[in-house]
Amino acid sequence: MPHDPQQPDAKLDHYVRLLSEAEAIRGVSLGQDAWRRLRRNWVAMVSLVFLVLLGLSALLAPLLPLQSPIRQDLAERRFQPPGADGPALELAETSGGAFEEEIRALFGERTWIDRRLIRGRIALFGQWTVPSLCGTDDLGRDLLARLVWGARVSLMVGLVATLVSLVIGVSYGATAGYLGGRADNLMMRLVDVLYSIPFIFVVIFLITILDDPAIKTRLQSLGINKIMIFYAVIGAIYWLTMARVVRGQVISLKQDQFIEAARTIGASRAGIIFRHLVPNLLSIAIVYLTLTIPSVMLFEAFLSFLGLGVDPPDVSWGILAADGLQVITPVKVYWWLVVFPGLALALTLLALNFLGDGLRDALDPRMKNR
Amino acid sequence: MILFLVKRLIWIGLTLWAVFTASFLLMSSVPGGPFQSERNMSPEVRLRWLERYDLDAPLHEQYTNQLTGLVTRFDLGLSMSLQDFTVNDVIAQGFPVSASLGIFALVFALALGLAAGMVSALWRQSIWDVALMSLATLGIALPNFVLASVLILLLVFKLPIFPSAGWGSLEQLVLPAICLGAPFAAYIARLTRTGLLEILSQDFIRTARAKGLPARRVVLRHALRGALLPVVSFLGPAIAGILTGSLVVERIFALPGLGSHFIEAATQRDYSLAMGMVLFYTALLTTMNLLVDLAYAWLDPRVKLD
Amino acid sequence: MAITALGYALTFGALEPADFTMINGTEIKSLDPAIVSGAPEGRIINALFEGLFRQDPQTVEPIPAICERHEISEDGRTYRFHLRKACQWSDGTPITAHDFVWSWRRFLMPETPAEYAYQLFYIPGAKKFNSGVLEVGDRVEVELANRPNPRQTFPQGTLLRGTLRRITKPPEPQAADGIGEDEQATRRAHWQRRWIYEVEIEGQVRRFRDAKAELSAGDETSAQIEPCQQVLYDFAEVGIQAENDRLLQVTLKEPTPYFLYLMAFYPLYPVNRACVERHGREWMQPENLVTSGPYRLEFRRIRDRIRLRKNPNYWNADQVQLEVIDALAVNSSTTSLNMYMNGEVDWALDPPATVMSELIQRDDLLRAPMLTTYFYRINTTRPGLRDVRVRRALNLAINKQEICDQILGAGQLPARGFVPPGVAGYQGALCGAYDPQAARALLAEAGFSDGHRLPTIELLYNDTEGHRKIAEKIQNDWQKNLGVQAQLRGMEWGVFLDTTDRMQYSVARAGWIGDYPDPNTFLDMFVTDGENNETGWSNARYDEIIQTLAPAEKDPSKRLALLREAEQLLMDQQPIIPIYFYVSLNLVRPYVEGFYPNIQDIHPLHRLRIVPDLRRNHRRSFLRR
Repeated sequence: MPHDPQQPDAKLDHYVRLLSEAEAIRGVSLGQDAWRRLRRNWVAMVSLVFLVLLGLSALLAPLLPLQSPIRQDLAERRFQPPGADGPALELAETSGGAFEEEIRALFGERTWIDRRLIRGRIALFGQWTVPSLCGTDDLGRDLLARLVWGARVSLMVGLVATLVSLVIGVSYGATAGYLGGRADNLMMRLVDVLYSIPFIFVVIFLITILDDPAIKTRLQSLGINKIMIFYAVIGAIYWLTMARVVRGQVISLKQDQFIEAARTIGASRAGIIFRHLVPNLLSIAIVYLTLTIPSVMLFEAFLSFLGLGVDPPDVSWGILAADGLQVITPVKVYWWLVVFPGLALALTLLALNFLGDGLRDALDPRMKNR
Repeated sequence: MILFLVKRLIWIGLTLWAVFTASFLLMSSVPGGPFQSERNMSPEVRLRWLERYDLDAPLHEQYTNQLTGLVTRFDLGLSMSLQDFTVNDVIAQGFPVSASLGIFALVFALALGLAAGMVSALWRQSIWDVALMSLATLGIALPNFVLASVLILLLVFKLPIFPSAGWGSLEQLVLPAICLGAPFAAYIARLTRTGLLEILSQDFIRTARAKGLPARRVVLRHALRGALLPVVSFLGPAIAGILTGSLVVERIFALPGLGSHFIEAATQRDYSLAMGMVLFYTALLTTMNLLVDLAYAWLDPRVKLD
Repeated sequence: MAITALGYALTFGALEPADFTMINGTEIKSLDPAIVSGAPEGRIINALFEGLFRQDPQTVEPIPAICERHEISEDGRTYRFHLRKACQWSDGTPITAHDFVWSWRRFLMPETPAEYAYQLFYIPGAKKFNSGVLEVGDRVEVELANRPNPRQTFPQGTLLRGTLRRITKPPEPQAADGIGEDEQATRRAHWQRRWIYEVEIEGQVRRFRDAKAELSAGDETSAQIEPCQQVLYDFAEVGIQAENDRLLQVTLKEPTPYFLYLMAFYPLYPVNRACVERHGREWMQPENLVTSGPYRLEFRRIRDRIRLRKNPNYWNADQVQLEVIDALAVNSSTTSLNMYMNGEVDWALDPPATVMSELIQRDDLLRAPMLTTYFYRINTTRPGLRDVRVRRALNLAINKQEICDQILGAGQLPARGFVPPGVAGYQGALCGAYDPQAARALLAEAGFSDGHRLPTIELLYNDTEGHRKIAEKIQNDWQKNLGVQAQLRGMEWGVFLDTTDRMQYSVARAGWIGDYPDPNTFLDMFVTDGENNETGWSNARYDEIIQTLAPAEKDPSKRLALLREAEQLLMDQQPIIPIYFYVSLNLVRPYVEGFYPNIQDIHPLHRLRIVPDLRRNHRRSFLRR
């Protein structure tokens, strides 16, 4: 019998085809599926677009034709209501040391990327600036510019802290809830202990350590920003609630059949926790995420209120809102100083929440392929 | 059950000790001290002050002294910033203030939050859902102090209904309770909504529905109980937090509650008062968490206490 | 649960309204006049207690209070105070000269411990008694360790008087590097407790050692060493004597022109001996407190209010109109303003600067220049700032006028000297006024033209009360006028104090309130290594003037000229940059009479009156609004 080379190949082809079909079926991953469903939710999409735009404008703040966020004008421009014309940007030179000097005066100490962006802005818009659409504050600085520059700090603070807390909180809570028994007890008691440690002392302690000249220069040489570190640690404080909630959910989930099933086929503990439990926790975690970002941003405001916020010339929405409070009095209300920072905070958080809701629905494993 | 309680009480004791130790170490390593002011004392006078509060002893001695005082006599010592009072006095005077404010805030938050959460879960994607959830988000999103100042402007000055601040009468409690409760109400609303939606999509609810139970009964008898889990787990720490007060609200409304004591104690480095507040807060928190776990077992029959 | 809460809250209500309600700022630390130092404490203590003198609210001159009249000797060193016969404690017992002697003894006892003890150091022996540093041959008093109640200072144990013959000291522990000031003081104190004092008492030499001493191997252990509470300089040798019940005599080391002001200063008000000895630490509780002033303490709720009720036993009770006064502890200036505008209080302090431009037009905002200076300290040990030209350039580049007009806006005066105006007969020294050109030139002369090569300046402030605004403005001025980049560091109060104390700053915010209207209360802080110097600045001539020449000078105008020379040195050397002089700001309802703005912001409550008709009308117009 002649050797028919076609025969096994055909079989192979068959298998290959089967395999590729199977892959095609599994190809709709959770992520793609979720994205498909998310796109159908217009509220969430609007929020997403808003947040992306906000993030971009914060990132590219130096490129926008804004006024200087720190230039003061006590004589002419104190407490100007919204709508006043913007003064031309006082940038006479376009290069060299004097130029750097002027950038420092108008925008503070900036990284080379920002300085490059400012150059780009000069090329694009010249000295023209957007009018003071949000009014000016008690030192005659433009509120709109401060809001955009403040978004950088506030968004970063919210993101950094929340991501840290998410990672720690979910893995800790899921582990504790799944292990149960003594381990769970021990882990949750640790959470209780951490909960009760006076956070204000922790914060003061941290700030002093980070402010210590030796540590500061070291961090700077590593290119790490003090605010970043600080809020990473704040995130490390904020994971506690997340851990508790996640644990509660896991305790009730772990008696579900699919976990039993995974256990019977011999999945490892870690495998069960991270492959099966965590995806099921995503919805509750995302809701918590959308709640945590606001509370971190508010915590930042609270720290500003206590005098532990970011140092000028940096500014954050928390500081702006806390300053706004000072001018809401029965004698005189400079409404724009509280309305616009409040609006910025509220809109952002509103968008975050709607996006969170959309994600919750989209990510729900029970909704898969529906 | 009894065994569970005993175990938990031992744990609470251990937690208190751990918190005491951690706080002690933290406080002793934070710069500044209780007897520093813009007008510096001479070292001799400051030493006398340190002696008066046993702060001149080596750290390990201070630690054991304070711990024995605490365990044997339940004595937290004299406050260092409120020098005419013991820490016990301060807590005894401050807690009722925070507690009555907190209970009002909590009742407000629960009533509003549960109702709003249920409405928006049951009529999902409706105009009510969007409106209530936007409102809830605003509750979380607006800093306490912005809400407070807006309310003061509206309800004190534009419409003279409430006094602007102070402590002593019932109407002085309304505005702070709203301000304190608002973010909690918003959280509760969101958690209720999420929990309820989660439960409503589960099989046993479908079974209940299929059996032909009326929708209202399904929700109230079957779904709500399960949906409350995240709310309950949030309430534990929230109650402790609400009861020990909120600095911002207490400060704006000039209320003499524990929140202001705590922050003042920290900024003035009143070690004894700060320690007292931390331990009190811990005791409250751990007790609340114990109650939460008991409530869990009651709400969800699948959860076993061990 | 809600019902219980409701019931709870209702029991807190039903408070009888007060005749007069005021905001008193932060919660007071204590009611014990001897140990406190703040302004809120001062307002309450001035209502509860009374001294030999009081300051008149219109002129701030001392006016007789418990003292009816006084005589000063030719050389200005002996004061004889005749006490008023009618003066009584609130429990009805008379106030005598012995009360003063006892109270001042208590004030000076190291155990008290009084922050302001140095205010009596003008009296010979007072400093010795207070510090406990003795010399062989001194008359001393030994208090045996037999106090009736070991947990309280008074009543004291048995007092023995004698002459110090010898002090046996164990070897002093090595001074270790790297330990803090407090730690060093503690070690020294522990060592001093181990000293053995040999005292000759009625012809017999007895040996004493502190009962609290922790002995180590080298210490002598003999049964003959008697344990004692403390060995102090004999108080009978201190220049304070009660000649009889109504005549108090005080001798001074030097003629001190402002001594009567000190007699009107609340830490020196007498307290009731029986009350202190009976109740120990609880003596200032409302049910125990015996007062001497126009008011009694009715109750005290922590961080809420202090209620004062008129003291019928006060010698001048007829002149006291307000029966019940509530002093509220309110921290936030915005809250205070709200309460005032809503008619909940009659007197509010320090309204927020942000609305000053509106408030300034109102009649009920009472203002007066104050004996208080807002300034920046410069760390003169830092590279760059070591150079006096740099320091002067930093001063010249600040537009203080703009700070006063725009940020503060209540008529504060830009400061060019350290001593505020308002001290009679004193013409303050001046530093340079705002001049960006000159500043730039000076900086270039120092080799840092346009701020190049100048190390970064860290500007420290505590982030409250608008200090940040001023710091931002100054940062802006330095950047604009000098090209100098300052890094702002807002700090929490405790950390701020600690950091400035350890001099880990380049420039730091500060404020100083004068205790009495004399340049000395400002200038003595900058002597070399003074507790409040904190700039590292030191000048021999300055020290000489403040410590020896001025105190010894008998001619008041020559003395002031000397002080002016010292201030000029301070301004030329510029270890500090004065920014502005404070203005006291009080919102007082128009129906309140007897409220006078003054340079020390003193407003005795017993001098206030309310005009009932005006108040009624005011209420009505208020409600109609």
